[in-house]
Amino acid sequence: MRLEISEPADRDRSYRDVNTFDNFALADHAGNERRLSDLAAGDPVILQFFRGWWCPKEQAFFRKLVALQDEAEVAYCRIISVSVDRPEVSAAFRAGVGAHWTFLSDPDRQVQERLGLRETTDTVNHPYVPAVFTLFPDLRVHRSYNGYWFWGRPTLDELRQDMRHITREIRADWEAPTP
Amino acid sequence: MSWCWFALLDAPAEDATAQAAIVGGGWLAAWQRRAKPVRNARRIDARIIDPVGEAAVVSLVLPPKGVRLPFDDLAVQQARRAVLAGPPTDAVSTLLRDASHFEGAITVMRDRIVDDPFARIFPARLLRVEAGLFGRMPPPCGPTIERYGSAQPWPWDRYELS
Repeated sequence: MRLEISEPADRDRSYRDVNTFDNFALADHAGNERRLSDLAAGDPVILQFFRGWWCPKEQAFFRKLVALQDEAEVAYCRIISVSVDRPEVSAAFRAGVGAHWTFLSDPDRQVQERLGLRETTDTVNHPYVPAVFTLFPDLRVHRSYNGYWFWGRPTLDELRQDMRHITREIRADWEAPTP
Repeated sequence: MSWCWFALLDAPAEDATAQAAIVGGGWLAAWQRRAKPVRNARRIDARIIDPVGEAAVVSLVLPPKGVRLPFDDLAVQQARRAVLAGPPTDAVSTLLRDASHFEGAITVMRDRIVDDPFARIFPARLLRVEAGLFGRMPPPCGPTIERYGSAQPWPWDRYELS
């Protein structure tokens, strides 16, 4: 499975309704193997691939995601961040930014290769190309965001809209039950 | 089932699904059934129970007699946040008697003893528990701190089962 991510100029041509994420398994920041579907369980997911702790763009974007955390923690959704960093590095970065969600580690770059998400212009770190996918619980892609250039990344309002869309689709009681 | 019954006992139970002795006295027991087995039983996340689980150190937090605190109290919210932020343990569950009160928590540790955020709410006892009761469960995905229905002990993480 190779995922193509939308170019900034072609943003609306996302991969919703056609792509479903591979149910990959990677070690989390504590070293436990975690499968994507288990992490999603029955909730909408913000799945983020990032270069690494060292990238200023990632640091800036993480500050935004952490700002969303106050809402996300009561809104029944999941956030998952994936990089090529080892679990102990991910754990330190996670603690440093104050993130309360799961970080996954792909130091062998096996999942990166399967997904076709290597940033080919970085021949030193071979990181993930920055990308964000909003997913239904069954791992179908709702929207994709190409974060190679910073402005291609989703705003918090776009993420809110995506979470609202997915939640409305999956929660049978979106319209509050009436007597 | 997403939850089962859990209780601190003076002597072993005849009908428990799993139980283990506490070093120094007492027993901890779990029952996987709907009917409440003993008067002081509380609901616990079922994933924490494993009849073949290894011995462990557990931090058991229980409210003092006569004290009741809403599950949605800010202190309980903050403790749940701190669990997500802190170093992972082998398992954790809040304890419930009804849909609206925080009735304690249990944290299972083996490799290292870590801070228990729930111990800032009510007194905690650090207990050495024999094998046969507590397993390992994956840490919550995060960042959700809410329960999936008021009958479910946090961190049970989905709506499908009850």
